[in-house]
This record gives sequence, structure tokens and C-alpha cells, in this order.
Amino acid sequence: MTDRATIHASFTIERIYPVSPATVFQAWADADQKAAWFHGPPEFGQRDKTFDFRVGGSETVSTVPPDGPEHRFSARYYDIVPNERIVYAYNMEHGDVRASLSVATVELAAVDGGTRLTVTEQGTFLDRVYDADDREHGTIGLLDQLGAHLAAPN
Amino acid sequence: MTDRSSIHASFTIERTFPVPPSAVFQAFADQETKARWFGTDEGWEKLESAFDFRPGGAETDLSRAPDGSLSGFNVRYYDIVEDERIVYAYDMSHDDSRASLSITTIELEAVDGGTRFTMTEQGTFLDGIHDAAGREEGSNWVMDQLGAFLTAPA
Repeated sequence: MTDRATIHASFTIERIYPVSPATVFQAWADADQKAAWFHGPPEFGQRDKTFDFRVGGSETVSTVPPDGPEHRFSARYYDIVPNERIVYAYNMEHGDVRASLSVATVELAAVDGGTRLTVTEQGTFLDRVYDADDREHGTIGLLDQLGAHLAAPN
Repeated sequence: MTDRSSIHASFTIERTFPVPPSAVFQAFADQETKARWFGTDEGWEKLESAFDFRPGGAETDLSRAPDGSLSGFNVRYYDIVEDERIVYAYDMSHDDSRASLSITTIELEAVDGGTRFTMTEQGTFLDGIHDAAGREEGSNWVMDQLGAFLTAPA
């Protein structure tokens, strides 16, 4: 018998990016732009990618470590307000094991000097496959990569 | 322009039901059994429904309220452990507006005298259409219905 556990956690991360809300929004809405920052470490591969950024659409990607089971991300977009808000549910599997189910809200607000991005994630973590603190740190890493992408010269 | 807002909230409901975990589980897993306690408001007209209780399966319910407004409820089941756990994402709509997206975890545990039932909901409530306190109150009412069903003479 498996050791069942269900951990509920939430976190909020804020960033200011020195670009307009429309530019930040496009980095989430456009498949090529999102691929430029939404990825794991360079030594990890990716496969089974799909991207359908619209209300009711889904996005999937499997991140493949050099050794060990893949991490599969599956999102379903619930609400999209251009340049303002993206709300989606997503789940993660580690190999064949269902590991977490979350709601993520991305909010964009124009502020002096650019855009304030606020990500709020409410997650349910199953059977200690993933850890909520690690998820928060991982999300911070992704938002760092987004910041580097937005700051890079075209 | 709409007044956008995203409110994040969570709540937990605990009950002890004087029946075994398998009986509580069946009240969620079996369509006919669930129909006897879930969503039986007087005066509501059911327009569409679907029920597919398995990981990845969907449950939907579109109803017309007595005031004529449309209320939509869409579930996608994520994790199901028989007699132990049900994890799903669900959203609600009001007329054409997307109102909320939530993650719900139901945990069942055998205790002296029956089953300890724990429901945890983590929700994102959009644009003030529904409110988190109202959702908690409504969920408590629904679990009262479940309790009455489970304790009714067969």
C-alpha cells in the first residue's frame, strides 16, 4: 500500500519587468516566445509538446532529465484577458505517477517603469512526489528565465 | 471595461459520517447515487449534464436558476483512489462569464463509528461574480445533503 499524502499549499511571486504588459503577455501567448523561457535546465530534453493558447485550450510538455522519469506538464486554459490576466489549471506527472494539480493565476498591471507580474499558484501535492517549496523555487527560476528573455536584445 | 479582480481563497470542511468509506466513495463515484444528493435544488432546470468518473474524465452540469440565469459546473477528475481520495479541478460560470476555477480534494478515512470526510477547496474567484465565503457556505450545504442521504433509511 502506498503512503498516501495530500498537501495543500499556495504561493505568490511578484516581479517588475521593464517592458509593457502587451510584451509580457505575448511571452505567454506565443508558442515560440514561451518556448524561449519556459523550460528546464539545458541538459534536460523536451518532448510531446503541444500549445493551444485560448480559453479551453491545452498545453503539454514533457521535460526529460538525463536519467530518471520525465516530468509531464499538462495545462488547460480557463480564462484569458489579453494583456491583463491568464488563469489555468495544470497537473504534473512524474513518470506515470500523478503528482500535483494546481490553479495558476497570472496578473499583469502597468506600473511606472514597466509591468508588475503576479503569479499565484494554489496547488495540491500528492504522495510526496513533488514538494510545494520546490515548486515555488522552480517557478521563481522560470520567472527569472522570463525576465532574461524579455531583457534580451531581439 | 470590466472591473477585473482575482480573489484566491481556500477552505476545509470536515465531517464524520456513520457509514464506511466505501459507502461515501460510492456516493461520489456512482452517477445515480450522486444524483440523489448533489444539486437537487427546487426550481432549477437541468439543461445539460455528463458524468465520467475516472482520471481525466469530465462531469458537467448546466442549469437554469429560478431567476433565469445560467449556472455552469464543469469538473475534470485528476486522481481517484478507491475509498480513499478524489482530486479534481472544477470551474463555474454564470451566464457567459467565467466565475471561478478550483481544485478540490476529498479524503476519506475509516474511524471509529464511520468515516472521517475532509474536503479541501483551493479556488480562484474572478471579477466578483461568486464569492469565496458564499462558496464555502454552499459547499457546507451540499455536504449536509450528502450526510442526510448517507444516514437516510435505505
